[in-house]
Amino acid sequence: MKLFLLWLAVHASQYVIFLYFLAVNTTYTALIFLALRDIVRHAYLTTARVARRQLASEHYFKPVTVIVPAHNEAAVITQSVQALLNLHYPEYEVIVVNDGSTDNTLARLKEDFKLVSSIKPVRLQVPHEDIQAVYRSADYANLIVIDKLNGGKADAINAGINVSSYPIFCSIDADSLLEPDALLKSSKLFLEDDELIATGGIIRILNGCTIKDGAVTEIGLPRTTLEALQVLEYTRAFLSGRTGWNALKSLLIISGAFGVFRKDIVVAVNGYRKTVGEDMDLVMRLHRHCRDHKIPYKILFVPDPVCWTQAPFKLGMLLKQRNRWHRGMIDALLANKAMILNPKYGATSLVGISYFIFVEFLGPLIELFGYVSIPILYYFDMLNTRFLVMLILLAVFWGISINIGAVFLDIYNFRRYKKTSDILRLCVMSAMEFFGYRQIMLFERLLATLTFRKKHWGTQDRQVFENKEKTA
Amino acid sequence: MLEFLTQSPHFYDYVTAGVLFLGVFNACEILFLLYNKTKVERSELRRGNLKRLASTALITATNPADLLPPPVTEDEFAAYSEAIASVLDSFEGEVAVKACQLLTDLKIDDHYRRLARHRTWYKRGNAIDILSSFRLNDNKAFFLDIFRSEPSTDVKYRILYGLSRLTREHAEIRELAELLSTLPYLTAKYTEDIFFNIISTLKAEGKEEEFGLFMKELLDDKLVLNLVKRDCITACHAASCERGRGVLKQYYEAHAHEPEIQIAAVKALAKMGDFALIPQALRHADWRVRLTALKYADLCCMDMLPEIRGLLRDPSYHVRLAAGMTMARAGGAARAALKEEASSQDKFAAAAAAYALTQGAA
Repeated sequence: MKLFLLWLAVHASQYVIFLYFLAVNTTYTALIFLALRDIVRHAYLTTARVARRQLASEHYFKPVTVIVPAHNEAAVITQSVQALLNLHYPEYEVIVVNDGSTDNTLARLKEDFKLVSSIKPVRLQVPHEDIQAVYRSADYANLIVIDKLNGGKADAINAGINVSSYPIFCSIDADSLLEPDALLKSSKLFLEDDELIATGGIIRILNGCTIKDGAVTEIGLPRTTLEALQVLEYTRAFLSGRTGWNALKSLLIISGAFGVFRKDIVVAVNGYRKTVGEDMDLVMRLHRHCRDHKIPYKILFVPDPVCWTQAPFKLGMLLKQRNRWHRGMIDALLANKAMILNPKYGATSLVGISYFIFVEFLGPLIELFGYVSIPILYYFDMLNTRFLVMLILLAVFWGISINIGAVFLDIYNFRRYKKTSDILRLCVMSAMEFFGYRQIMLFERLLATLTFRKKHWGTQDRQVFENKEKTA
Repeated sequence: MLEFLTQSPHFYDYVTAGVLFLGVFNACEILFLLYNKTKVERSELRRGNLKRLASTALITATNPADLLPPPVTEDEFAAYSEAIASVLDSFEGEVAVKACQLLTDLKIDDHYRRLARHRTWYKRGNAIDILSSFRLNDNKAFFLDIFRSEPSTDVKYRILYGLSRLTREHAEIRELAELLSTLPYLTAKYTEDIFFNIISTLKAEGKEEEFGLFMKELLDDKLVLNLVKRDCITACHAASCERGRGVLKQYYEAHAHEPEIQIAAVKALAKMGDFALIPQALRHADWRVRLTALKYADLCCMDMLPEIRGLLRDPSYHVRLAAGMTMARAGGAARAALKEEASSQDKFAAAAAAYALTQGAA
């Protein structure tokens, strides 16, 4: 009986793995096609003519607050803030929130921007740790710096929300650079559609690019394979993933590195929640709030406003980052478990959240199970080697197709990487990802699944990004 | 393993075919990427050259159509249309007439009119955008015609935008406002843009009074949404339409329960230097109206200092801060009063006053 049950379990597991493989790859392929349709449509409707018309009508804009949470960012903070002060936008304020840094982040800000004390009354609309001081720059009227006790990124953004003066806010990481027109492109969407409550632009990798005076002047692929693989991953995640989810009205993540939100609706959900995956958690709660209160709303990803960010250039840093992302995802799913497979939340729940549960959360476990089952099946002499080889070949070739499809979306429409060598290298990365990199990431995601209750962020090394090429 | 699959006679043939197909597909994708890159680069170059050629011909030649090769591909049509739209934006008189003539001679307008009936909505939308940029009077009837048969609301918004650049008479403006009210309200920016275009066109032709007449008619028009009326007032101030000024006070009085219209009226009049509505707006029940009035109060109403000082105790955070800022800007007695308030027992008033004093000093 026991042997029969074992035999049954082994057979059932094979079906699960095979069906999982088919379902996941079909989903990714469908997302690519949906993204292609969305991007072509976007390209048609966002012509240079329309852009010129929108830029010309200076009367129409909504003032925006840019919130920059900063914890131990002394290496990059001055350049980052300087770049933000050079954005093309008629009316905006930059609020840097020094979240209890133990390095000289605040001292650098004080010195470089001539900060003076400000006593602006602050409304406590969303909760956060105590603010110790608010400063205003004597040189730049639109620069405010908040010094507060350490509470994490979510807490820091909440403090920024309370101090902000404008109806829309944009949260951006301190190690990221916005393209000069990114704020204009993303905030104009709020003028074009009253139902829009949140939007995010594309995050691209800064490593390998040339930066001058806080702006990316030449775009290139990073030299190391580790960084180039991340370029491929970001391209796939944003251009095929998020654009595809957009089309399905199931977008669940607006990257914490660059997101623009309507303040009133974020205040209505009590701001950011203290967690390592605060970006996904907020978007899920926004969906939930609007659905629960029958508020017509839209949450959109738009592929042309660009935020450049530093990618980890060491494997250890990358693993820490991925571990944190995975823990954040699990935490956000658990915190919003009422939305799981709940028809009340429509496609967001049945499509978007289901994908995160069955592919992102269970995926690593099933994939590991697949790897582990090979020696077991071999031991019991149940392994069909021919089938296994064919399955692996099919998986790799299909995966490569999906990767090149994502590169195609980027090169076809946005053409950021113009050098033929860069395009070919991205195609090579599309194949290389399956040999080592994917397995390492799988292992880290498994570790994250086992330790998802940990709340710590960890630290990341930063590189100064002024006037030099960014390579590891 | 998965016997029912693997034991079927052609299973491995299918899987092998699948793997081979994906391999070939991947190779084709890479080749297409490289081909497309070269093609786009060439096409951009050709498009740039054609645009330059068309612009030069329009400015220098008597009959530019003789010098320019007729467009055949979509890229060539796009290059010509961009060049012509740009010339029409920058030139008037003879050059503009030649540009319009070129549209007909090269059948560019016909091409986009055909595309405006394309089965894909975003291609129709794009064609309408391009036709709008030509500002051809002949397109007025065409736009009205396709508006009636157009199924997509997204495209309808674009058609009305195109029409807004061709509207000349107050009756036409009213028709457009009514058509606008038949669609779901899009955004303030869009509606303001529509009226801004109308006012700009009328001003350029010295027919600004047509907009004044339209504003009077609009006041009691039940077919037009209040939000559209509000945006019309905002456009009036954005485009500095003095002819609408007389009727703005009537809008304020007639829409006592529509604070958004009242705010727009207060703002528009204040921007034109007319502060007649500010005193009553300072006493308004809606905090947003009080806030708007405070932004201009230092320019006209410092005889109302006690009332403005009272607003430092307003229930609204924004009104308290704005009252402080108004008093700080006004200076003199108002500033002295603000200093007294900074040590007031009312901590909200004191905080607002202290902040306003530091801002004033800065």
